[in-house]
Amino acid sequence: MSADHRPATVEALAALVRARAGAPASASGARRGLRIAGAATWMDAGHPVREAEHLSLGAFRGIEAYTPADLTISVGAATTLAELDAATAAHGQWCPLLPWGDDHGTVGATIATATTGPFAERLGRPRQLVLGVECVDGTGRIVRAGGRVVKNVAGFDLTRAVTGAWGTLAVITRLHLRLRARPAVDVTLAVACPATEAATSRLAAFTRGPLAPLGVVAVEAADAAAIGAPGATHLVRLGGNAALVREARTAVGSLGAVTELEAAAWSTIRARLAPAPRLTGWRWDALASRLRDRFDPARILNPGLLGDPT
Amino acid sequence: MTPLGPELRRIVGDAHVLERASQLLAYRSDALPGLRRAPALAVFPGARDELIAVVRALAAHGAPFVARGAGTGLSGGALADGVTLLGLHRLKRILALDPEARTATVEPGVVNALLTRAAAPHGLHYAPDPSSQAACTIGGNVAENAGGPHCLKYGVTLDHVLRATVVLPDGEVVILDRGDEAPGYDLLGAFIGSEGCFGVVADVTVRLTPDPERVITLLADFTTVRAAADATSRIIAAGILPAALELMDRPTIEAVESSIYAAGYPRDAAAVLLVEVDGAAAGLDDDAAAVEALCRAAGARGVRTATDPAERARLWQGRKKAFGAMGRVAPHLVVQDAVVPRTRLAELLDTIAAIGARHRVRICNVFHAGDGNLHPNIPYDAHDADEAARVHAAMGEVMAACIAAGGTITGEHGVGLDKLPYMERLFTADTLDAMCALRDVFDPARRANPGKVVPVHSCREWHAAPAARGLP
Ligand SMILES: Cc1cc2nc3c(=O)[nH]c(=O)nc-3n(C[C@H](O)[C@H](O)[C@H](O)COP(=O)(O)OP(=O)(O)OC[C@H]3O[C@@H](n4cnc5c(N)ncnc54)[C@H](O)[C@@H]3O)c2cc1C
Repeated sequence: MSADHRPATVEALAALVRARAGAPASASGARRGLRIAGAATWMDAGHPVREAEHLSLGAFRGIEAYTPADLTISVGAATTLAELDAATAAHGQWCPLLPWGDDHGTVGATIATATTGPFAERLGRPRQLVLGVECVDGTGRIVRAGGRVVKNVAGFDLTRAVTGAWGTLAVITRLHLRLRARPAVDVTLAVACPATEAATSRLAAFTRGPLAPLGVVAVEAADAAAIGAPGATHLVRLGGNAALVREARTAVGSLGAVTELEAAAWSTIRARLAPAPRLTGWRWDALASRLRDRFDPARILNPGLLGDPT
Repeated sequence: MTPLGPELRRIVGDAHVLERASQLLAYRSDALPGLRRAPALAVFPGARDELIAVVRALAAHGAPFVARGAGTGLSGGALADGVTLLGLHRLKRILALDPEARTATVEPGVVNALLTRAAAPHGLHYAPDPSSQAACTIGGNVAENAGGPHCLKYGVTLDHVLRATVVLPDGEVVILDRGDEAPGYDLLGAFIGSEGCFGVVADVTVRLTPDPERVITLLADFTTVRAAADATSRIIAAGILPAALELMDRPTIEAVESSIYAAGYPRDAAAVLLVEVDGAAAGLDDDAAAVEALCRAAGARGVRTATDPAERARLWQGRKKAFGAMGRVAPHLVVQDAVVPRTRLAELLDTIAAIGARHRVRICNVFHAGDGNLHPNIPYDAHDADEAARVHAAMGEVMAACIAAGGTITGEHGVGLDKLPYMERLFTADTLDAMCALRDVFDPARRANPGKVVPVHSCREWHAAPAARGLP
C-alpha cells in the first residue's frame, strides 16, 4: 500500500499533525485525518477510518538501544515482532508480547492495540511490558513518557493511556520494553485431553496450580493438523528450570496422551487462532470522550476507527 | 450556600470534622521529613455514601481537597496546604473476598497487611508489599502505584488492580476496569499512580496471589558494594527471577545491627544481598544453588541459606526494620527513591558515596536491587539548617546522577511535592503539558491534590482563560 506520508523524524511527524490540527475543518470535506499504519497489515476492525490519508511509520524501524543485562530494549514502532524476537533471542531473551497474529506485525501496533497472546497471563500483558513511549499526540505534542527502567512512577502515566488506544490519542514512534530471559527449558506439548468434565477440571487445576504452564490453548482438529498434532488438542507450553519442567511434564502426562512439538507451533497457532479484532462497542463514556478531546480534538488520528463521536 | 464546615458536619457527623488548628496538628505532615503544611479542615467519611456526599459538597463549594490514607507517603503527596484534607482511614471494610476467583474488593482505607491477613486462610496473599505494609492503605497504594521487595517477581500495584470505583472530583462516580468486558481506553492504568490528583478511590478490586509452595531465602555478604551490585546483575542476566533481591550497604547494616532489630548481619561486610526464590517446590533448590554460585562468582565471602520460616524471618528482619533502625540514628530520615538501569547500579553507588562524602552526609542504601530501584536514605536533623541544606544539595545531585544514567527520579514513592523540582529535568515541556491534559480528563478544575506531581507552570492551557478549559 502506498503511503501518503512517510515522515523521517518525530519532529517532521509532529509538524504534519500540528499543521492539520491547527487548520479549520474544511466544508468541502478535505481529507485531513491520518490513518496510522505499522506494517499496514492492520484491519479496519468494523469501523472504516473516515477521510484519511495514509501515514507510514516505516522510518521508525529497528532496534535503537539494547543492553541485554538490563533486560530492556528500545525499538522503533515499525519494528516487526520477528525482528524483536530475533534480536533478543541472540541473547537468550525475549519480549513475551507474543500476541495473537503473525510476526510480521509491528511492535507499535501490538502496543497501540494492546493485543495479548496465549502467554499474557503468565508473562505479561502489553500494559505490563511497555516501559515507556515516544509518541506524537493529535495536537502535535511530542511526548516522551516512562523510560528505560523497569519501575517508574514519575508523573502521570501517559504510557498506559496510549497503550491500547488504537492510535486515537497519539502516534507511537518509539517504545521501551521489558524483556525476560527465555526459560532454561522450554517445552511445547500437545495434550489430547478428553472432553469430559473431569478432564477439564483436572486441566483447570493444573493451570492454576504451582506447576502452571506458560500458556494453554485449546486447538481444534483443523488447526491441530497444521502443527502436526493428532486431532483436537490442548497446546501447552512449559517453562522453567529442568527439575520444574520435568515435574510439570509428569503432571501433564496425567491429563491425556502427550505429543511433543517444536516451539514454532506457537507461531502457527498464534496466526491461525488470531481472533477478529474486538472493536465493536468501544466504551465512549464521558471520560473516554474527554480523553479523546484532550489529545486529539480535531480528530486527526485514525478518525472513526473506534466509532467515536465526531 | 451553607458554609463548608457545617455542611460536612451534617454529612459525616460532628465527631468526624476537624477545624481547630490544634486538632489539625497531626495532619501537617506525612512520612516525608522537613515539610509541613496545615490543612484548613479535615473530614473523615465513614461510609461510601458519605464519601460521595463529601466530594459533592466540596465540588459545590469549588473547594480543593487532598485525599489521605495512612499518611505514610514519602513525597509529601498527602499534605494539604490550607485546603480540605479528606481522610479515608474509616473506610476500612473488606467488601468481598473470593478465594475461587482469587480476588478481593476492599474500601480504600484497608491496611495492606490486613488484606493479606484476611486472605491467608485461603492460601492467598496480596502481593504488593511495601515496607510500610503494616500501616499504609490500599487506596494510598493505588494512588502511588506502590511497590515492595517482592514486586521484582510479582509486579507492582498496577499489575494487581483489576477494577476501581472512583469518585471524580466533580462528584461523579465511575468504574474503571481493564477493559476485559468492553474494549475501551486504559483509564484504570492511567489512574493508578495518579497520586490523588485524578479522584478518590472508593473501592478497589485486586488480584490475590497463591502462596508459594516453598520459599528459600539467601543472605550473601560482600567485601565491596561493587561486588554485590555485580552479583545482582549476574543473577538478573542469568534469567533467574527471584521473588526479591535486596541490597543493604554497610551504613545500613551498622544501623540495623546497633539497634534492637539486630538480625545478625556481618558487621564487617561492605554490603549484603538478601535474595529470595519461591514458587513450586520442584526445581527451587536448583534456583537457590544457582543464586549462591552466582554470588560466589561475583566475590561473595559467604552465603547463608534459610528455608524454615523462623530463620527466614530473621534474615528479613534487618531489611524490614532498616528504616526504623535508621530512624534511631538521627531525629529525621530522608527515604529517597530513584531508579537506574540495572547495569548502572555499581557505578551509581560509587557516585552516591562520593556525593555523600562531599556534602558530609551519611547515606544508607537499602534498596530493591533487582529492579535497579535505589533508596539512598539519609538520617539527619531537619532542625539543623546547615545539615538540612547539605542533605538537600546531596539529594539534588543524586537525582541528577540518576537522570544522567538514563534513570528516573522515583520508582515507587511518587513525585508529590518533594520531586516537583526535578520534573522539568526529566521531561520535556510538551510531555509535562500532556500530563496536564491527562489530569484535565479526570479533574478539569484541578481541585484534587492541587499543586502536586506536575509543576503548575508546565501546564500551558492552565494559563489560558478558564473558558478554554471548558469551565464556567
Ligand atoms: C518506612 C516506610 C517504608 C516504605 N516502603 C515503601 C515501599 O517499599 N514501597 C512503596 O511503594 N512505598 C513505600 N513507602 C511509601 C508509602 O508507604 C506508600 O507510598 C503508600 O502507598 C502510601 O499509602 P498511604 O495510605 O500512607 O497514603 P498517604 O501517604 O496517605 O497518601 C499518599 C498519596 O495517595 C493519595 N491517596 C491516599 N488515599 C487515596 C485514595 N483513597 N484515593 C485517591 N488518592 C489517595 C494521597 O492524596 C497522596 O497523594 C514507605 C513508607 C515508609 C514510611
